[in-house]
Amino acid sequence: MGKHYRPAGKKKEGNAAKYVTRTQAIRLLQISLPLFRKLCILKGITPREPKKKFKGNDKTYYHVKDIAFLHHEPLLEMHRAIRVHERKIKKAEAKKNVERANRLREKTPKPKIDRIIRQRYPRFVDALGELDDCLTMVHLFATVPATKEKKIDVDLIHKCRKLAHEWQAFIARTHRLRKTFVSVKGIYYQAEVEGQTITWLTPHALQQVVPDDVDIPTMLNFLQIYQPLLGFVNFHLYHSINLKYPPLLDPELEAEAAEVYGLIRYAQSNNKPTILETSELVESEQLESKQDGPEIQNKKSELRLAQLQHQLPSNEPGALMHLVEKAAGEDGEEYDDETKQCKNLFQNVKIFLSREVPRESLHFVIPAFGGMVSWEGEKAPFAETDQSITHQIVDREAQGHRFLSREYVQPQWVFDCVNARIILPTENYMVGRIPPPHLSPFVDYGEEGSYVPDYAKTIKHLQAAARKEVLPLPGVEKDLEDPQNLLAEGIIDRAAANQAAKEKQKLMILEKQYHEDLKKELQGATYTSAGSTEVIQTGESLNNGQANIDDVDMAELVMPNKKRKLLKAMEISNQRKQSKNDTIIRRKKKLDEAQNQRS
Amino acid sequence: MVELDNQKEEPIPSDYNEDSDDSDSTQHSDESDFEDSSADKDGDSSSGSSDSDSDSKSELEDGSPAQDNSGDSEDAESQDEDDVKSEGGSEGSDIHQEGVGGDESDSSEDEVAPRNTIGEVPLKWYEDEPHIGYDIKGKKIKKKEKEDKLGSFLANVDDSKNWRKIYDEYNDEVVELTKDEIKIVRKLMKNQAPHTDFDPYPTYVDWFKWDGAKHPLSNAPEPKRRFIPSKWEAKKVVQYVRAIRNGSITFDKPKEEDDAYLLWEDDSGLTEKANHLAYVPAPKQKLPGHDESYNPPLEYIPTQEEINSYQLMYEEDRPKFIPKRFTSMRSIPAYENAMKESFERCLDLYLCPRVRRKRLNIDPESLKPKLPNKKELKPYPITCYIEYKGHEGAVTSISVEASGQWMASGSSDGTVRVWEVETGRCLRRWEIGEAVNCVTWNPLPDIHILAVSVGQDVLLLNTGLGDEEEQQRIKELLLVDSPKASEETGKKAPSVSWLKDDKHDGIRLRHLKTVTSVEWHRKGDYFSTVMPAGESRSVLIHQLSKKLSQKLPFKLHGLAVRSTFHPSRSIFFICTKKTVRVYDLLKRKLIKTLYTGLKEASSIAVHPGGDNLIVGSKEGKLCWFDMDLSAKPYKTLKCHPKDINNVVFHRSYPLFASCSDDSTAYVFHGMVYSDLNQNPLIVPLEILRGHANSNGRGILDCKFHPRQPWLFTAGADKLIKLYCHY
Repeated sequence: MGKHYRPAGKKKEGNAAKYVTRTQAIRLLQISLPLFRKLCILKGITPREPKKKFKGNDKTYYHVKDIAFLHHEPLLEMHRAIRVHERKIKKAEAKKNVERANRLREKTPKPKIDRIIRQRYPRFVDALGELDDCLTMVHLFATVPATKEKKIDVDLIHKCRKLAHEWQAFIARTHRLRKTFVSVKGIYYQAEVEGQTITWLTPHALQQVVPDDVDIPTMLNFLQIYQPLLGFVNFHLYHSINLKYPPLLDPELEAEAAEVYGLIRYAQSNNKPTILETSELVESEQLESKQDGPEIQNKKSELRLAQLQHQLPSNEPGALMHLVEKAAGEDGEEYDDETKQCKNLFQNVKIFLSREVPRESLHFVIPAFGGMVSWEGEKAPFAETDQSITHQIVDREAQGHRFLSREYVQPQWVFDCVNARIILPTENYMVGRIPPPHLSPFVDYGEEGSYVPDYAKTIKHLQAAARKEVLPLPGVEKDLEDPQNLLAEGIIDRAAANQAAKEKQKLMILEKQYHEDLKKELQGATYTSAGSTEVIQTGESLNNGQANIDDVDMAELVMPNKKRKLLKAMEISNQRKQSKNDTIIRRKKKLDEAQNQRS
Repeated sequence: MVELDNQKEEPIPSDYNEDSDDSDSTQHSDESDFEDSSADKDGDSSSGSSDSDSDSKSELEDGSPAQDNSGDSEDAESQDEDDVKSEGGSEGSDIHQEGVGGDESDSSEDEVAPRNTIGEVPLKWYEDEPHIGYDIKGKKIKKKEKEDKLGSFLANVDDSKNWRKIYDEYNDEVVELTKDEIKIVRKLMKNQAPHTDFDPYPTYVDWFKWDGAKHPLSNAPEPKRRFIPSKWEAKKVVQYVRAIRNGSITFDKPKEEDDAYLLWEDDSGLTEKANHLAYVPAPKQKLPGHDESYNPPLEYIPTQEEINSYQLMYEEDRPKFIPKRFTSMRSIPAYENAMKESFERCLDLYLCPRVRRKRLNIDPESLKPKLPNKKELKPYPITCYIEYKGHEGAVTSISVEASGQWMASGSSDGTVRVWEVETGRCLRRWEIGEAVNCVTWNPLPDIHILAVSVGQDVLLLNTGLGDEEEQQRIKELLLVDSPKASEETGKKAPSVSWLKDDKHDGIRLRHLKTVTSVEWHRKGDYFSTVMPAGESRSVLIHQLSKKLSQKLPFKLHGLAVRSTFHPSRSIFFICTKKTVRVYDLLKRKLIKTLYTGLKEASSIAVHPGGDNLIVGSKEGKLCWFDMDLSAKPYKTLKCHPKDINNVVFHRSYPLFASCSDDSTAYVFHGMVYSDLNQNPLIVPLEILRGHANSNGRGILDCKFHPRQPWLFTAGADKLIKLYCHY
């Protein structure tokens, strides 16, 4: 036997030495297939594609090193221990020793995931880069019904909810949200954290159905890694803005299903480290207490206490200097331009939510863009009767009682404003109207030939208008809204006029070219009679179109087969794209025609 | 004795009933009366009802058979007995009342003295007697007449109360059980207390009332143990404390919540993954477009027709997501596939092998090779200059005279014509009478001989051009001593005979099989013919001056298609269907085999330099061989969609051309450099169109002008065209 024992028949090199099939791997690890899958999920091991599939195309191949990596994994040992433990429980149950069974059940060893997370994501940025799936899954499971037969635990769902809210609170607090999109599948959010673009999908706030063809254990396996991952990420993020991590949540707000709001408030109040803030806080507290009456004073919430406790040391002289420095530093560096823009979008907007609107997402989105938000409920920061409210989000057929001082808009307005980064005119979003189309912010119009919907053009004009003119004074914003509208419209007209002018110019140029061509041809014709050398030229100019077509073919003739096939494939895919585009344009034409006829 | 028995019997039930209450008994008596009356109402048998109780009891108690004497005939008697019973009830009060005691049914039996007084004797004794026993007065009780079985069965069937009836053998009568009795039977069967009123779990009524009592029940002083800590407990506690201190008792640790902590405390230095294998992060999911919006622009929503048309598509082609429009956010329903899509994503994440694939985000135009500007490669044939009309059939072959002044053509209408190139005038015309396969002009400028292959013959024709001196030489050449020739051929090459052709003033070489092509050697003395069906003699080389023919001394693998001579050396090329075989004629050996990789080659041409050659094939491919480079094609061009009929090199310009059945001819620039390291440059230049397709055939032959960059094409549409460079 040599230094390293190689079993008989085992290959020395090549694909057969580097890869093993799944069955071989399982046999090597001496575990069951479900456990193998679970370990793969936890460790993030995926099958690989060897260049030569030595055992056939229908097999799944793993890298030998990956399997060795699993082989040395303490989790493997842990799962063996769990199995032994389960057997003990079973035995106790069989002997009707309920007490022992319960005690054993409590003492079931629990695998620790933190080390694996660190292994999989050595840097925080790595973790952020792959957070999309994690967030989507956690948000989905926050809305799934807990069922015994599917083994979906209530605690698990609560944990998911908690983590999701914490994440949202952080994003909103730091104004990192960039894009939102209400789709049929749910609401997409896109945030930018530490240079990583993170997109996640939250289902609509309705109960999810768990279909039978979905294998829940697999998803739970994923959750087993996603939950702690998000926990650690949240911790890191909260830590980075000097917040205590498992944040204290006002139980009343929780009961009101306004956790995000509660968390954001917690984050904000805890994160004001200057001296001024304390006085402000006291003032605001007084104000609030005046507004809300004695009721709130009686029920001094846990939150308030926590805030005060947190604030206390900042009043001590030693800590003061440090804190002020920090505050200065924070205000100066933290926000880049985009964040600032996001932060100030709803700066002068005070929004009240009606009962029927999706509160959870709006609680998240509006503060993320610097707006103030309230709702109908006990712990709401301001009541519906507040005169300073500028917008009320309403989603019903008709609004009964109206305050003249505010606009009644549909929830889509908020999302569209966020995507356009300007405050859009509200007249299209009035109560009872069908709002303008909600466009995806993820579509890139830069690609040539892509179809641009009308409303996208309108928004572009509005954006241009907002950029060109000096932003309206924040104080008089309310009054200015209508004039802004007018202005925007004016600009649209102007833009249209511009376009028309451009088109005219183009036409002119074309005409000129045509004339020149004609002239050339005439000259050519005259030359033909004159001399033979020129004949070739004219022939060429006449044959130009034909020649171009030939050119294309010619190049293809000389291409190697491989490239030619690639080119064909590209052409096909381009054609498919084009045809999709064409159908949309065709439909649009039809719609326009129908509209014209009607009008 | 009977009496005795009767009396003996009586105490037993009385014992049994001793515990019974008065109230019960009275109650029972009422009930029994009631039963009687009900029985009367039934009118079935007045006596039966009264006795039923006793009978049922007897059955239940011991089931011992007892005979009764009462018969049907003695209804009157039975009435008497009723009386007797009632009397008994009043008179024998002791018995009666005690008897009623325990249970209704029990009592009813016992209080009524059984009609039969025989006592507990085996009923067998009375089997043969006409009576069953004696009543209380000592009279015989007669047996009832037995019904026939069928009658009784029918009666039973008709009677709805049949199931309650029991035959009492002792008293010889049928007893019907009352509802209460059945209840009792049922209760007994369930092992419950038989009496219906009996409550096994009565509510406890405390006889002592606590509320309102001022004084304790007991006046004893509070015991010491109530307020002094227990010594034994203290001892036990001490024991536990010690045990805990010693560590012999351990507690379960409190359940640990695995809380988050600062996992990535300092990761600035880390750049590499712990796993040294290449890690491929999962691709992110595709971001949604406008069509997934809850309120997409109207043009994104497919019409009903389009949605219906999706049903006709294959499942995999069908769009997975059909845009829908909701007019307000409140009307958005829950997305039913949310779980499923998430699950599918999970599957992708852990079951799909991840491969880094370069996404070719390039302009498809950039894939095409950069060709040199065509203008720099001029001159080459571009436009049709002259059309030569005159043939009445497809022109199968053309050939240009060495000087370039004359052009000969052969057609399927059986004529060979000679044209003046520049004017398009038809100079001469031979009627051969058979479809012409191939026409070739002798390459020497002073020997104006045409070789024409017609069917199995090859004709050598004198065109009559040139001055007299030349004509003299040609005539000498074409002079054949026919018998001698035949002798000679008979010896050496019996496959070919050199004959004199008087009609056309030339030589006729008769072959065994159809000759498809004739090719001259550059010196104009030798020429080769190819007979594809000729097997070992498929390629022959003829010498004009000696009028000799010989077959090639080589074995051919495959079907010969064409042959050609090397332009400067004594090398001979034979193109078979799949390969090109190169022979050295002087050394008489095979030099090289070139593998075309084609299915069926159709034509071959050798570059004037001699090191490169092109092969055209019936699948429309064109192979360029660099013989110094390899035995495989340097470049394969797939240009024609149909069969290539001929390929040809220009003698002086770097041009080559191919013509095909798709009625096009391609002109290429094919530059061969003298530097051996530099690969030949091949640039497609021009597609020459203009010929019409007839019977699926397009251009049958093409030839270059020997001096000018002009191309002649012969089409199946009876035309010959000349393409010029201007």
